[in-house]
Amino acid sequence: MISWPNLVSQLFNGLALGALLALISSGLTIIYGTLGVLNLAHGAMFMIGGYAGFVTYQYTESFLLAVIAGSLFVMLLGVAMERVIIRHFYHRPHEDQLLVTFGLGICFVELVRLVFSSQSQLVPPPALFQGITNLGFMFYPTYRLAVVGIVAVALGALFLVLYRTRLGMIVRAGIEDSVMVDSLGINVYRVFMVVFGIGAMAAGFAGIVNAPVVSLTPGIGDDILVQTFVVVVIGGVGSFPGAILGGLIAGEIISVTSMFNPGYAYVMLFAAMTLVLVVRPHGLLGVQGRE
Amino acid sequence: MLKQRPFLIETLTAIGLTAAPFVLPHLGFAPNTVNRILVWGLFGLGFDILFGFTGLLSFGQSAFYGTGGFVAAYLLTRAGFGNVLGALVIGMIAAAATGYLIGLIALRRTGIYFAMITVAIAEVFFFVEFNPLSDFTGGENGLPGVPTPSFNLGFTTLHFTNGWSLYQFIALCYFIGVIIALTIVRSPVGAILSAIRDNPLRATAVGHNIHGYKLTAFVIAAAYAGFAGGLLGVLQAFMPPDAFTFDTSGQLVMQTAIGGRGTLFGPLVGATVWLFLQDFLQSALGLGAAWKLVLGVVFVLLVCFLRGGIIGGIADLYRLIAGKRRRTEAETGQEPPDVEDARQIPPAPMHAKEVAHPAYSGPILKATGLTKRYGGLVANSDIDFSVNQGELRGIIGPNGAGKSTFFKMLTCEIAPTSGRIVFEGRDITGLKVTEVCQLGLTKSYQVNQLFTGLTVRQNLTIAALAELRGKFRLDLFRTLSGVKGLTEQVEHTLALVNLNRRADTPVAELAYGEKRRLEIGLALATSPRLLLLDEPLAGMSPRERVETVKLLKSIARGRTMIIIDHDMDSLFELVERVTVLQEGKVLLHGTPEEIRTNAAVQEAYLGGVHGEIAA
Amino acid sequence: MTDNLIRRGLSRRSLLQTTAGLIGGSVLPAMPAFAEDKPAIGTYPAGVSGSTAFIGISVPRTGTYAVQGEDELKGYQLAIEHINSGHDLIKKISPKTSKGVLGKELKFGVADSAAKPNEAVQAQQRFISENKAIMITGGTSSAVAVALNKLAQREHVLFVCGISGSNDTTGKDCVRYGFRQNFFGQTAAAAIGPVMVREFGKNKKAAYLTPDYTYGHTVTKSMQDFLATAGWTTVTNQVAPLGAPDYSSYLLNVANSGADVLINVNWGHDAVLSTQQAKQFGVLDKMKLVVPYQVPFIARETGGLMQGVYAATDYWWTIEDKFPLAKMFNEAFEKKYGYKPEWGAENAYVSFAHWARMCEEAGSFSPPDVIKAYEKGETLPSLVGDVHYRPEDHQCVRPVIIVKGKQQKDMKNKEDWYDVVEIVPGEGLMQKPDAFGCHPGDYS
Repeated sequence: MISWPNLVSQLFNGLALGALLALISSGLTIIYGTLGVLNLAHGAMFMIGGYAGFVTYQYTESFLLAVIAGSLFVMLLGVAMERVIIRHFYHRPHEDQLLVTFGLGICFVELVRLVFSSQSQLVPPPALFQGITNLGFMFYPTYRLAVVGIVAVALGALFLVLYRTRLGMIVRAGIEDSVMVDSLGINVYRVFMVVFGIGAMAAGFAGIVNAPVVSLTPGIGDDILVQTFVVVVIGGVGSFPGAILGGLIAGEIISVTSMFNPGYAYVMLFAAMTLVLVVRPHGLLGVQGRE
Repeated sequence: MLKQRPFLIETLTAIGLTAAPFVLPHLGFAPNTVNRILVWGLFGLGFDILFGFTGLLSFGQSAFYGTGGFVAAYLLTRAGFGNVLGALVIGMIAAAATGYLIGLIALRRTGIYFAMITVAIAEVFFFVEFNPLSDFTGGENGLPGVPTPSFNLGFTTLHFTNGWSLYQFIALCYFIGVIIALTIVRSPVGAILSAIRDNPLRATAVGHNIHGYKLTAFVIAAAYAGFAGGLLGVLQAFMPPDAFTFDTSGQLVMQTAIGGRGTLFGPLVGATVWLFLQDFLQSALGLGAAWKLVLGVVFVLLVCFLRGGIIGGIADLYRLIAGKRRRTEAETGQEPPDVEDARQIPPAPMHAKEVAHPAYSGPILKATGLTKRYGGLVANSDIDFSVNQGELRGIIGPNGAGKSTFFKMLTCEIAPTSGRIVFEGRDITGLKVTEVCQLGLTKSYQVNQLFTGLTVRQNLTIAALAELRGKFRLDLFRTLSGVKGLTEQVEHTLALVNLNRRADTPVAELAYGEKRRLEIGLALATSPRLLLLDEPLAGMSPRERVETVKLLKSIARGRTMIIIDHDMDSLFELVERVTVLQEGKVLLHGTPEEIRTNAAVQEAYLGGVHGEIAA
Repeated sequence: MTDNLIRRGLSRRSLLQTTAGLIGGSVLPAMPAFAEDKPAIGTYPAGVSGSTAFIGISVPRTGTYAVQGEDELKGYQLAIEHINSGHDLIKKISPKTSKGVLGKELKFGVADSAAKPNEAVQAQQRFISENKAIMITGGTSSAVAVALNKLAQREHVLFVCGISGSNDTTGKDCVRYGFRQNFFGQTAAAAIGPVMVREFGKNKKAAYLTPDYTYGHTVTKSMQDFLATAGWTTVTNQVAPLGAPDYSSYLLNVANSGADVLINVNWGHDAVLSTQQAKQFGVLDKMKLVVPYQVPFIARETGGLMQGVYAATDYWWTIEDKFPLAKMFNEAFEKKYGYKPEWGAENAYVSFAHWARMCEEAGSFSPPDVIKAYEKGETLPSLVGDVHYRPEDHQCVRPVIIVKGKQQKDMKNKEDWYDVVEIVPGEGLMQKPDAFGCHPGDYS
């Protein structure tokens, strides 16, 4: 349905989708940028955030608590994962890092499947945001509207951490030149652990915030993971602004293509990625450093 | 690992495949499961060449599995194509062609980027299959009704229907797949693929076009995937859309890692474990959906603790037992190489590559105005430099004088910001390091750049292959021993760098001095006419230095060399002329005697970090 | 995937056969020396040489169609239980049945197809090769049904189709070895179309939500074709993949399409999710919803969104006041499982009962004989009155029931979701047997 009202609606919807992708991708990208590890279990982190929130919601009936618990749980999981396993892989080849995180992702998904079965679970949106909002040009579910705001705040918080704290300075320096950070006498391992925790938390937070929009299934993170790859490749590996830009671009490509034919949405998304790779192999805002 | 008695592996495979229908049923394997394992095994043969041998971890093999499968299934179900084998082959070709195109994009990057791109590409294929191409692929429906193969032999018709009957067809396909894969990994191309896995930088530097070889491996993997995909359709009477999903790629990767990468049979073993556990955990233990969790945990543990997978683990165990025996032998038989050895074998000068321009008689290398800037930092500035045929030139300079940068520009590892480099009258500015090496100019590195997973002989073989075969050649079906002159050249180089006795030792087990000699040997094996040596004596004990200087003298006959080193006594003993660099500029050229007494040089060194000149 | 796996191991005979094959180069299956004079075909007679007969069942127990799959599975289990015990209801449908089928007790294995053809085919191949399944079933996805159709034809094992709404199942992808009891796109459209025209008028604009596989494509096509005769136009057809997590982009297109009626062809959890999201995006306030192929439990799962919505279905339990067999079935089912059966269970039960009857009538499990019994096309009892199978395409000619979602205040109990608007006889709904390109193939 090609019409101006529809275009505006789809652009808006793309913004909502893009914001979510941006948040998840920024988690992936700062982990990669700092540690040099591509976490293939990142999608599982997103999914676990949703489930941890779901469980909390079952007990407390409080959405706010669910969000807090979901994020914290995934952060702790990230820290534990870094300490117990990832740490031993910094000096092993990239392939091994990919394999181990891929395997961990499968373990997480299957563990959740074992506990919660494959049936989809529902987390209702908080009472405050239930219902439909008439934006004038379109009807939009109030909660989805709220998600855009919540994600924007989360990205803002992440920005402050990365650009206004000492930790953030180290992280950004590490993305530019990891050798230099090593030689500054900073306890890199502690930084790595914290960064891994924060990156995982970004995914977990997105997972629980997104849970009321879609229903939770153990496989929910798999598709998201692939989309975040595209976002990161478009935006530039290791770049936080790149993740945001890439996320928004991806969201809009999916939505605008959907206006013509939803079946082509992902085809177009990947076509865009290929184009970026050919024209700017390091991504739109990527740095040359990492490979 | 695969270099053993001729045809041993082939024979064992044939025996195993023939015995399988008689043995496996007693172990609880249904024919269908066995067929499925073989399809995965065949799929994995190609993937292992890509991942295990070349070191490229692709998460996108489903794209080719699906492409081959759907092309074959489409021909057989919709296009009215009757010949099953023909359709499988066409499917394979289609997959290989797709692999070529995808490889052109995906191989633009390496490592993690490569993995991410392959994931994304596999997803594109999945969506394309579901939407634009759903008329051909059946979309979510897949393509049902794939027939089984039959062959009319004139007097009778062989029809492979299902179960153990179909097994015969699939097993034959697998066997042929194994033969081809073995041939490929034993070919010169196979050797180079291992080199790329171990050290892509050096593989490039010794003169191989590694992009071409990577693309070759990618296409081979795609072809195997395509054929296996077609077989899946035949096996199931149905080509499922699931063939294109990321899960397929993931399962392949996991099976390969479980079984053991770089072994060719790892994927088969992995698939066996996978499918057996799937059946066993589900039905015998009643674990239901938890079976995949168990597999996931097993996989993670294997990646953490047993990098070589199951086959690798068995091989390690075998080596551990066999190794003890070997060590006792070594104590009595072998002695560490002696300094005397160098004198005992006065190696004939290895003839350098035939001169490209026999008529050319000017300086072999001439650089003019060579400048390199990194942002605001000037590493080299306006260097004019010329070396004559047969000359031995030394380069000295304090740390940070830009010596290594200068070398990197001469060998075209990095491009100069401005200036020209002329080698034997030919402008090589802007060429790639591979091409320059092929022209006869190469370098030994300051920090060892060896193929650490291979033996000394294999290392030298790889370097020699670059010279004998050119930068790219697809002799997939030739054996290494079929390469003319290879054995001689490798043996000669071994003798030259005095590593004959260590020829079959893995690089990791070499002493430091031996590694240094091998480093030089790698450069030598490409028969360069101009050899650049970046601190060949660095880190050596005095005894090793003496030995190495002798080595360098012996190889200097008949070739031009430029040597950077900090050990001036050794260097001045070796070279005829010396160039002094300071702060990225040429301070002066001169004979060793002139340099030793030059006030400016004294100043540069005493003012600099090092004071070795005074020694 | 297999819950109930019978002891594995290859019989000595098949091993010898393989040996002969390997040594002699002949791969033609050796003729077993069995007492029966019927030729061996598929898993016959190996599968019924003992005192039991095995049925391979693949239903989705995970994924989008899991809820419907479980309901369907209960129908199969009840039918097998009734057949093995010689229950009165079975005897009403298959008078010759005493206990079991032809004296053989039925055993079965269940595999989770996840509504994916690949999973289903893998599982059924194992049931056929390892358990010598004499009949296979499965569905809840037409993609699965079509794939199993082809597998059945190749392996020469009967396939009694579960829920499958695609015209192709007994149309262009029909096979000699497959049979379908339930209604499908064509009959659904022909039954609900007139009701829609009567209710909403002529020359309306329709928007479709279509799942991207054979079921969705053919149901939407049938609806479009029928409604076009009343001047309806399609303003948008939003085709979504199976199991899409989010329908927002599709629904925005629908919301901005200016349609009068939204025809939601999605099924299973997809139907629930897309209907709920349609509400959230204000679509249901702008246009009327129609569900042309009723989804079991959708009324409950969407929490009241089906109120006033028309749907076509195979069965709705409240017809029990008109059909005594339906009443018997509802009671037996509810007693065992504690809820009123949906049409997935009904189809499962009836299709098994019909199969049992055909085997008894043929006097043999030999597939060609059973097929020919079906192809006689005789009138059979079912839970919705008399039906028959067409010999040309193996489709059961049976009524389609039009229901309309009740308002909450009118519901007599918590499962009283629909009013039965009309029971449309099957004869007038069917296309010509060859209209969808059915060429069923050979008997052997």
